[in-house]
Amino acid sequence: MTSPDTRQPASGVTPSSKSTWPPKLDGWLDAVARRATAEGILSSILVPVVSALAALVVGGVLIAIDGVNPLSVYHAILQGVFTKSRGFSYTATVATPLVLIGVGYALAYRARVFTIGGEGQYLVGAVAGTAVVTAGGVGDLPRVVLIVVGLGAAIVAGALWGGLAGVLANRFGASIVISTLMLSFIGDSILQWAVRDGIRDPESYNANSRPITAAALPSFFGQKTHLGFLFALILVPIAWWLIRRHRWGFRIDALGHNPGTLNANEYSSARVTLSVLVVAGGLAGLAGMVETTGVNVRLGQEASVGYGWDAIIVALIGRLHPLGVLIAGLAMAGLTIGFESAQRQFELPSSLVSLITAFVIIFVVWGDAIAARWKEAR
Amino acid sequence: MDTLFSIATVEAGIRLGLPVALAALGAIINERSGVLNLGLEGMMLSGALGGYIVNDATGSPWIGLLAGLLVGALTGGVFAGLVVTFRTSQVVTGIAFTIVAIAATTYLFQLRWDIGELPPRVERLGMWPLVALTLVCVAAVWFLFRRTTLGLTISAVGESPESADALGYNVVLIRWMATIAGGALAGLGGAVLVNGPLGLFIEEVTAGRGWVALALVVFAGWRPVPAVAGAFLFGLCDAAQLRLQGTATEVPYEVFLALPYVVTLIALVVRARRSHTPAALGDPYVRGAS
Repeated sequence: MTSPDTRQPASGVTPSSKSTWPPKLDGWLDAVARRATAEGILSSILVPVVSALAALVVGGVLIAIDGVNPLSVYHAILQGVFTKSRGFSYTATVATPLVLIGVGYALAYRARVFTIGGEGQYLVGAVAGTAVVTAGGVGDLPRVVLIVVGLGAAIVAGALWGGLAGVLANRFGASIVISTLMLSFIGDSILQWAVRDGIRDPESYNANSRPITAAALPSFFGQKTHLGFLFALILVPIAWWLIRRHRWGFRIDALGHNPGTLNANEYSSARVTLSVLVVAGGLAGLAGMVETTGVNVRLGQEASVGYGWDAIIVALIGRLHPLGVLIAGLAMAGLTIGFESAQRQFELPSSLVSLITAFVIIFVVWGDAIAARWKEAR
Repeated sequence: MDTLFSIATVEAGIRLGLPVALAALGAIINERSGVLNLGLEGMMLSGALGGYIVNDATGSPWIGLLAGLLVGALTGGVFAGLVVTFRTSQVVTGIAFTIVAIAATTYLFQLRWDIGELPPRVERLGMWPLVALTLVCVAAVWFLFRRTTLGLTISAVGESPESADALGYNVVLIRWMATIAGGALAGLGGAVLVNGPLGLFIEEVTAGRGWVALALVVFAGWRPVPAVAGAFLFGLCDAAQLRLQGTATEVPYEVFLALPYVVTLIALVVRARRSHTPAALGDPYVRGAS
């Protein structure tokens, strides 16, 4: 099978060809194409798109039951994103934490490490970062230094929170789904304590931190989108490269497909589990801090808005692929932003948008099972 | 501190432990048959809303409990359809199921009661009837697995579906029944929470109790009696937390807010050594695949 004669000449890649820089484009495209067919165009693109459409239909039926014309609601949603002056900018802002956390989930889920702890990691990241940048005596530091130190503290805190679940899983066999969830509840308690007491602004009546204006992220694209969106945009190709070209990405996929091979090659699957949880946690911590310093002025009790939960949906709809996560994150953010104005206009329940996105995920799961059956039948 | 260790706290602990105990019993039935039910939280929440609406409409908490049981069974059926018949990934489906249930119950609740409108308090059941109900359920689940052929069959399906199939048992049917029964108990647990200790429904009222129940099942080694004991431990922490929230103590009250989850995390780590996980837990069964 490995003899050069049986190899198709069109593939453009021969085993002997030394990798040159810049890499041969046709070979790269070929690799992408082969990969896409191996996973199946059907399951990678068709299933999420059809699922999204089906969920919008279900949402439309629910809107109609509520006595409103669904088409005018969807029209208003599109208007809210595409014609309102800040629609794009707000969409990018909401997408930022979704993509940052979602890529972390995607890496973990590829390894079949099912963490759902993004929310807690996001919160401890925001608390740690805010504590550092609002501590006494750091106010004189230049803004760049403050930003970097704050984001660094957030990444470390999130990574530790995620890594804790990894240690519990590796040492004691604790279920990662449940331990990360418990750590999320505990993370929320930490936030509540921090803003009430630990890092509270003594001059403020409300329970929140001192203002973080000294470490505020610069914004671009109009007033709302902040530097964090750029982080998300940079993260996507990096994660893609890690998955496709790096040993670590290969080990993640190996752990996901057959942990036995990993251990048989004398590489510890526990180490991969831990590392992927640390990375996902660090990304969630980063998301918490960019949201605090990019969007808000202070860290308050209401910081837990559920990006850590929504990013689970984003990662799954994005097919655990960084680019897919970016697209799914932008789509979900757009739906949320567009729905905000439509909801006020038509007096719809605010939870409708989460219901529609939740339906997408059920349809994706179902669609995958159907696609797998078709593959079996053929 | 003397208020903490009062009879009232213990009573509140028992009341708050009952819903978790029922959900844990449901999870035991699910998991013994090899179905990992990460949708338990969602099923509890669905049962809680069903129980609340029906109690509000009929004025009878008992009918409310029945509604919770039926709604839970229905959600169990939907879950079984996905994971047993369509063989979707049990982990992903379970997480997705809970996400959908949170969104759907919030939506229905918002549809019924506008924001700002105060949802009515419903009539509550006292502690003893609910304790009796839970004890009956514990005894039933214990009896099922210790004394009946059906219980042994369920365990066989969870240990080795191939062998059970070879012996002529219908693996798919048994997993369906076990998933529906587990969902029904989880739904009942949610309804008990709303029609017992709380007397009202709020968004995400179960607040992770379904996940706690799942952790307790591992801690209890898939045995009903230790699971119920663990549920009361959780209930006591929950009650202590509620009691201490208002009082000024040297320890910040957020510590008690986190306490039930810390205890659950510890329970997850110090799982009973003798226990063993059902061998086919989480694996979809494909006839003739292996």
